Amino acid sequence: MSLSRDIYTQLEAIVGAENISDKEYILAGNRNRTPEYPFEYHTADAIIMPASTEQVRDIILICNQNDICFVTTVSGASADAYPNRGGTLLIDLKRMNQIIEINTEDCYAVIEPGVRHVQLYPELRQQGFSYAIAAVGPGGSVLSNFTSTAGENHNMYGASRANRYLLGMEYVTPEGEILRTGSLQTGSGWFCPDGPGPSIRGLLRGFYGNHGQMGVITKAAIAILPCRGPRDFTLEGHTPNHKVYQNSDSTQVYLFNCPDLDAACEAILRMGEVEIAASVTKFFYLTLAVMMTDSANAFHELWPRIRRELPIPLVVYLAPESTEELAYEEKLLFEIAEETGLVRAASDLENWFRCHMDFFMVVGMLQRVLRLGGGWMPIKLGADSVTHMFEVGKSVPEFIYKYTENGTIFDAPDNFQIAPMEYGHFAYIELLFMYDRTNPEVGKGVAEFRQASRDTDIAHHFHAETPGCLNAVTQQLGPLYMNYHLWLRKLREAFDPRNLANPILKE
Amino acid sequence: MNKLSDFRYTMDSCNHCGQCKWILPHKMHGWDFAEICPIYQHYGFDAYSGQGLLNNAKEVLNGTVSYGDGLEHLLYTCTACGACDINCKSVRDMDVLDTIYALRADCAEKGALPESVKKKGDAVTNTHNFYGLPHEERSSWLPADCGEAPDADTVLYLGCAASYQHKEIALAAIQILQKGQVPFRLLREEEWCCGSFLWRTGQTEAAKALVHRNVELLRSQGVKTIITACGECFGSFRNGYPRFEELPCEVRHISEVAVELIANGKLQLHPVSLNGPVTYHDPCMLGRQSEEYVPWDGEIKPYGLLDPPKVWRRGEHGVYDAPRAVLKAIPGLELIEMTRNNEESFCCGAQSIDEEFRAWAGAERRREAAQSNALALVTACPFCLDALDAKEESGLPCYDLSVLLASALEGGEA
Repeated sequence: MSLSRDIYTQLEAIVGAENISDKEYILAGNRNRTPEYPFEYHTADAIIMPASTEQVRDIILICNQNDICFVTTVSGASADAYPNRGGTLLIDLKRMNQIIEINTEDCYAVIEPGVRHVQLYPELRQQGFSYAIAAVGPGGSVLSNFTSTAGENHNMYGASRANRYLLGMEYVTPEGEILRTGSLQTGSGWFCPDGPGPSIRGLLRGFYGNHGQMGVITKAAIAILPCRGPRDFTLEGHTPNHKVYQNSDSTQVYLFNCPDLDAACEAILRMGEVEIAASVTKFFYLTLAVMMTDSANAFHELWPRIRRELPIPLVVYLAPESTEELAYEEKLLFEIAEETGLVRAASDLENWFRCHMDFFMVVGMLQRVLRLGGGWMPIKLGADSVTHMFEVGKSVPEFIYKYTENGTIFDAPDNFQIAPMEYGHFAYIELLFMYDRTNPEVGKGVAEFRQASRDTDIAHHFHAETPGCLNAVTQQLGPLYMNYHLWLRKLREAFDPRNLANPILKE
Repeated sequence: MNKLSDFRYTMDSCNHCGQCKWILPHKMHGWDFAEICPIYQHYGFDAYSGQGLLNNAKEVLNGTVSYGDGLEHLLYTCTACGACDINCKSVRDMDVLDTIYALRADCAEKGALPESVKKKGDAVTNTHNFYGLPHEERSSWLPADCGEAPDADTVLYLGCAASYQHKEIALAAIQILQKGQVPFRLLREEEWCCGSFLWRTGQTEAAKALVHRNVELLRSQGVKTIITACGECFGSFRNGYPRFEELPCEVRHISEVAVELIANGKLQLHPVSLNGPVTYHDPCMLGRQSEEYVPWDGEIKPYGLLDPPKVWRRGEHGVYDAPRAVLKAIPGLELIEMTRNNEESFCCGAQSIDEEFRAWAGAERRREAAQSNALALVTACPFCLDALDAKEESGLPCYDLSVLLASALEGGEA
């Protein structure tokens, strides 16, 4: 299927010939399957790159007039940023890349979809601010971090999930109407997500971004947070073995091993009670080993040691304002560590964090897990209380050993992280597993493994599943578990009767 | 040279993470100068990036995309600067740039080379220089006495650009070695193009023949060390030649030699007319692409384990410090950095076939240099010099490192 010349010409008139293409080699740039997904992407009929909200609107109007589906993309890091059927126009928003405003008084930033983490984060940090950054690397879209994911991140300990920081938005509806939400609607600025009347933020955004979202968000304001830690750092060496030292004497990183999951849970809760630390995470141990090494071979050398010495690593980043406060936080931390039985990691391992500690940089390195061949999958991803997340973690042995022993997944059964938010009032869990994607036999086992994880959650009544898989859970349990998806479908039918905007696959 | 199918693992491993397009976090500075891939920044489509080229390479292998519809233009608009490769390797064990080189070789093998690339390749083969000019002109202009030591086992390899277009660079390099009392000689009329253009554009057979001829010459003359003032030649000898055959000598850039001479007190430096902050542009082939290529032929086992282990070329050990040390040693100069520096340098665009893109890339780099508050831009590759020199445009003056250093030996005009 391809666009008719007439439609193509109409679209070309909106953006200019250099910003639309249906040539095969251009389309090929956005259609190859990535190794973590078991399906092929569909090819777009054309890719178009608008530069303004008005251009987006005009494109959507043409799509509506001609029954053309459309999907938006920026970084392409998510499978949801690709067409899931033929007859789709891919709207690439990367030209809409302006930071429109950074307001340090009212603590928000207004951005277009094409602004990347590696652009906004340094701009904010120079002014003493930061924001909730998901672990997608430097090129991830900031806007989709807030609108199209649940927004788990490693600097949310004193804050919360990214999706809670979405403020005013400018939005093009599935039928091509420009809508402004929250305080923006009444001309009062970007600072508030909701205006008079009922909130429509959740409706527009969807529960899990692309799993519900309709239309195109063309501008959004996000709440910004005080930056924890110094604004400057000193760089030594060259990638991938560079080192980054914080220019501060009031920050410190500690790496502990926990005697068991109960101790880790207790330590996290107690740190939250006394409100110390900028970040606390019960970290992935396999991921830790990959991050600390510069090749897969080096990982395979280090891995037995990490498995032996750091099976339950706890990373604690202290970043108060002064050396006195640091001494206070360290005192409390060491008391908690002693009482819960935490043991400091070997200095060479702890120093790795000290030589890399800026959480944006650290989470950028999380992609090093892909060194193990590119077959990977994060599961669980649910969020609830810290205690509940540790209960979920403790259930992992119930289903995982079958798959590590039969070689379906890499033998790292404890590779999950639990990252608390809101000073321990909330947390999320992520179980990251690796599989050998070069072995075609493994594919089926991976699907079975994911189902086994889900079955365990259901059997224990755990609230632990990734929002993206909630439909599968509700299909097993019925609407008593949740009927969100049914309402979502009805809302979409009302706003997008022809199912053109980011269309949902029929189940 | 490896075949395209040798890189299937890399093609299948790409997760579209975007690391090949954006500056690495430890180099981040702000909204501006955050992109690392020149073609991606300019054209915007994902196809114009390391990731997009990997996708296309895979589709060429699978037969779902073919040359003739513009892919070949994309392939050679890309400068093969290697930024995508270095960035990818910061988190992955993938060979992005070598896949691009293999795709180019495939393009050439299938007879789909853009005409300008083919013509230039033919010129290198027929005239032994990049410009297609008569071979006699390569060395006929050189002074009869360049202070050469006839028995020296060190050769100053001038390269095409310094022999034809930038003779001041050749003379400066000669002067540096003379002043430093380094015994050296020139190959003069026996010097041919290093062949960088041929192997980098995938004209493998022609490159192989030229490399063989040059290697035999160096071997027969007992050359132990090559010194070059050209970043392109330097990278070609270190990174390109081992793909065909072993180079029988070590290769050094003039800046590496100069740093030693300065440290040993053999070069006395004086202030030059240029005074104040300058910034340095890392040539791709002197920096991230200059690590020695070590052939690897092994097995990729599950979970990325390579048997035997591979020597990865990740840009970590490029020539970055020596040129900077030279600049810092010249009295009155202060070195300041652009945002995209060292292994994260932004390519000047010189090796692109697309004129409009080439002009844009050079202007973009000059813009970055100007924003660093430098008074001048310095580089160590004559091709970069051409791309970065503003010429009629107002903007920063651009200097070659050797020329600047030679003027500091005299204390004269830069």
